[in-house]
Amino acid sequence: MNIQYKKGVLELCVMSLLKKRDCYGYEISEYLSKHIDIADGTVYPILRKLKSDGLLTTFLQEESGGPPRKYYSLTDLGQKTYEKELTEYLRFARAVETLLEDDDHDEK
Amino acid sequence: MTKNEFLARLAEELDRKKVADAADIISEYEQHFAFKMADGFSEEEIAAKLGDPVAHAAQFESSAADPSSASSSRGGRDGRGGRKAVTVIGLCFADLFAGIFFVLLMAWEVIMIAFSLACAAIAVCLLGKLNIYSLIPPMPYWCAAILGLAIAALSVLAAVGSVYFAAFVRQLMRSYGRFHHNAIAAASGKAVLPSLAIHPQLAPKANRRLRTIALIALIIFVVFTILGMIVAMISSGALEFWHAWGWFGYTETGVNTVHGLN
Repeated sequence: MNIQYKKGVLELCVMSLLKKRDCYGYEISEYLSKHIDIADGTVYPILRKLKSDGLLTTFLQEESGGPPRKYYSLTDLGQKTYEKELTEYLRFARAVETLLEDDDHDEK
Repeated sequence: MTKNEFLARLAEELDRKKVADAADIISEYEQHFAFKMADGFSEEEIAAKLGDPVAHAAQFESSAADPSSASSSRGGRDGRGGRKAVTVIGLCFADLFAGIFFVLLMAWEVIMIAFSLACAAIAVCLLGKLNIYSLIPPMPYWCAAILGLAIAALSVLAAVGSVYFAAFVRQLMRSYGRFHHNAIAAASGKAVLPSLAIHPQLAPKANRRLRTIALIALIIFVVFTILGMIVAMISSGALEFWHAWGWFGYTETGVNTVHGLN
């Protein structure tokens, strides 16, 4: 699948994960690559972009036996953006599904 | 490709594209390697799964393309030196005012800490029946204990306030420092770092804990202050118990004790 096309949807997936709880970068990368076929490194530029857009913030947290981890957390703006984009995406996805199913039936 | 090759390649590309905060990005990839290697993957496998470092660097470049860095590169072409000099002079004045402002804020922080410590000292005196230099006015011990707890809660409240205020001042200074850095970087055509938020960046856990402590302290303070007043009124048998106990230079009969007047 086209990477630019995937990126928009991946942003949504990252925000949906962060809505549930704060995560560090590697956790997010693992979570996404478990479900979606992408290069492991793809998530880091996405996190960076969301952060520079003000949708995410980061904080450092000490971990026992290791350097402090950088956690990502959804901001209020991020929360609002996520809800708005989620509705838009779901509506879009449903429309596409309906269209393609119609297409299927026509061919039969 | 090994870990070092991957990171070197990434660093090179980020540097070439003038992406801000490159060290931060690289450390994120370094951590990725560390986690994966702990899971038993080889460096080559991890690098292959991460994808092409050049492509990643390009992604970072497009995400950081904000208008401020674009304008700085335009300004760079015509008279970068002059622009930088003007910026530096302007910043000197801004620094002077901001510096005075920060001193003021820090002075307030000191006052809050002093207030908290003073309250704690009074609470210890009241609770421990210590009457140093007879500074504590006379009252039954139960009243003193209740008021002591109220003042202890006030001390905790002030302590939480000073912690939060310290975090606020610290973040404000960091934010100003970043602004200062970016202003010079923009004027001299260097990469601009993302600006920092003004409000304190406390971890959610610490934030919640501070809020709970402040709330409990506030409730204790209000409840025990009112309770202390009521107990004092009842045990002294007067609404204005401070007259009954001869505080502020009044005797029990309410006559001024200053000898010259008698």
